[in-house]
Amino acid sequence: MSNKRVAPWIAGSVGVVLIGLLVLLAVAKPSTDSASSPLLGKAAPAVRSTTTDGKTFDLARRKGSWVVLNFFNSTCVPCRNEHPRLLEFADAQKQSENPVELYTVVNDDSDAAVKAFFDTNGGDWPRVKDDDGAIAVAFGVAKVPETWVVDPNGFVRLRVIGELSRGFLQTRIDEMIALAEASS
Amino acid sequence: MTAVPLSSRVKSWPVWMLMGLIVVVLLTIGATRDNGPLTQSERIDAISQRLACPTCNGESVYVSRAAAAESIRNQVARDVSAGKLTDDEIIAAIASTFEARVLLVPRATGFDALVWVLPIAVAVCFVTALGFAFRRWRKNQGAVPSEDDVALVERLLADDPTDEENV
Repeated sequence: MSNKRVAPWIAGSVGVVLIGLLVLLAVAKPSTDSASSPLLGKAAPAVRSTTTDGKTFDLARRKGSWVVLNFFNSTCVPCRNEHPRLLEFADAQKQSENPVELYTVVNDDSDAAVKAFFDTNGGDWPRVKDDDGAIAVAFGVAKVPETWVVDPNGFVRLRVIGELSRGFLQTRIDEMIALAEASS
Repeated sequence: MTAVPLSSRVKSWPVWMLMGLIVVVLLTIGATRDNGPLTQSERIDAISQRLACPTCNGESVYVSRAAAAESIRNQVARDVSAGKLTDDEIIAAIASTFEARVLLVPRATGFDALVWVLPIAVAVCFVTALGFAFRRWRKNQGAVPSEDDVALVERLLADDPTDEENV
């Protein structure tokens, strides 16, 4: 085959590869702060720890209830900003027939600082210690705040990265409960 | 006895053969050398150096002092102490929750594989193009002029007034 015949094929192949790369870049999902996780729809990681008041916490033993894990640090501004929304959410659970269990997972913070924050700003739900970061690593949490929802069967259903907006958590959990009831 | 120029000696094929042999032997030794069993601490360090801190820019878990890196390092230490997983399995387990963000060395599967494949593909294309170019140049170099070409050149030389023989 002469060079004049080969050249268009080479140029065409390079062109096809370049167009393919452009298409890939165009359709690729952005990797920053999306709420996707390989854990969604799968069994929640094993989480065993203690609460700041010394009680044992085992996520596997919370089956039968919807569980919310909120990763928190008292010095993080979005964590502080979303706290009033968590207070509203916790208050709503007190009046609910099937209350959702809310837990704060303390991320890289001292018990004293967290206690001081809750004493000042309110909130009486349990605070789970994560001194060695095992819970954060198990859920793939790098930055706080992050909020995870685990269903009564122990499957991860929702991940919210960043500050919660007002009513978002309650709305999404109500939707998931309705969907679960409809399918059962 | 006349001294053989250095350039000629270097160009001679036995030297190149010897150099090739040395390279092959060294590569074989390097690839098969057994470093012996690593201590737990060395394993933790080696794995941490292959993981990126998810909240830092371009820092490994080994180097970073960020809280997330600290947590990952603790997890690596727990997994190594448990002694159930290989280094690759520990990295895969951590990467499965943090996704590819924590991999300093890209995977050889899926979209990440392009990082490995593209340079090789470009190199192959480049070498192929060079091969074509060299072949063409060689072909042109050894071209034999036709009788018409020879006649044309002779006629032009005969007519050329600047040619010394015709002045």
